[in-house]
Amino acid sequence: MMRIQLSALAAAVILSTTAYAGSFSEGSNAKEWGLFGEETATFSGKVVDILCELSGDCADNCGDGTRQLGIVRAADNVLVPVLKNRQSSFNGAVADLLPYCNKMVDVDGLLVGDEEQTAAKLYMVQFIRETGAAEWSKTTLWTKKWNADNPEKKAIKGPWFRKDDRVVRQIEKDGYLGLGKEADEKFIAEWYN
Amino acid sequence: MKIRLTFAALAFATLAGPSFAATEGPSTVKITGEVIDTWCYFSGVMGGPDAVVGSAHHTCAVWCAAGGIPVGVLADDGTVYMVMKLEGAAPLADGDALLEIQSDRITANGVHYLRDGINYLIVEEVVDNEGIVNLTHEDFGVVPPFTFPKSVREP
Repeated sequence: MMRIQLSALAAAVILSTTAYAGSFSEGSNAKEWGLFGEETATFSGKVVDILCELSGDCADNCGDGTRQLGIVRAADNVLVPVLKNRQSSFNGAVADLLPYCNKMVDVDGLLVGDEEQTAAKLYMVQFIRETGAAEWSKTTLWTKKWNADNPEKKAIKGPWFRKDDRVVRQIEKDGYLGLGKEADEKFIAEWYN
Repeated sequence: MKIRLTFAALAFATLAGPSFAATEGPSTVKITGEVIDTWCYFSGVMGGPDAVVGSAHHTCAVWCAAGGIPVGVLADDGTVYMVMKLEGAAPLADGDALLEIQSDRITANGVHYLRDGINYLIVEEVVDNEGIVNLTHEDFGVVPPFTFPKSVREP
């Protein structure tokens, strides 16, 4: 009888801690986007170079913007890949995480991912601060960095992704469908005319 | 004694909390699949998974790779491998090395790690590239609809 009661107690405690670790919504001020499996989530953790964390192949300053970054969450030691910042024009999160390389941060944002597609959720960071700091920063560094790196583009109208040299070269080479200019012309004739 | 051990295990489980934590790997793998934009695929921001792969989504995948969003390989069994390094790669987070192979069906030799439910891939060699074979534009048009700028749609 004693063993049965203890087993039940152990199961209840483990289940309750699982539920706790799976929910980081309390206290979040993240903006909802209506994404697959979306949960608002604020938590603390260490900003890491994912490649370094996995393999021991490390670089100075987390690769100085050349590597993908993630957060090892303090509550459960889970490595959370950070795919996006808060901006809505195809911007990753490296520029916003890099100033905190190997530092403890608090973040607020969205965990996303449908369980049919992924065994673990991935993160969009909307706000960040070094742990202990009072003020949050909005994660908007990507376009600021791009504008600073591409001052000659300021006079050209349109968003960055219409005038980025790398993108322009790629589309010039393979077209918008990636199948060549003839395929683009055929598609435009069929869909837009 | 049995009761004490049970209590010790219980206390450990409570303090440690749930965690995948351990990294599985490295293991050498050969993966065949499509190079995809992981954010659109997992988030559903542009629609369902069938619409955010292949030619329909090619330009968006190029934009996302250039924007530093992690690129993945969607393998034939549905597993997505997040690419952390590509052979001879220029900086990954800038995406330059990856623009060229967006939406292509590739076969790659590499090193696989699994941590906390996410698969990561270091691509050591792309041994085959079939180009874009997933012609999703035939069913979905382009995703997002503003892929072609107005100046191209209406010259």
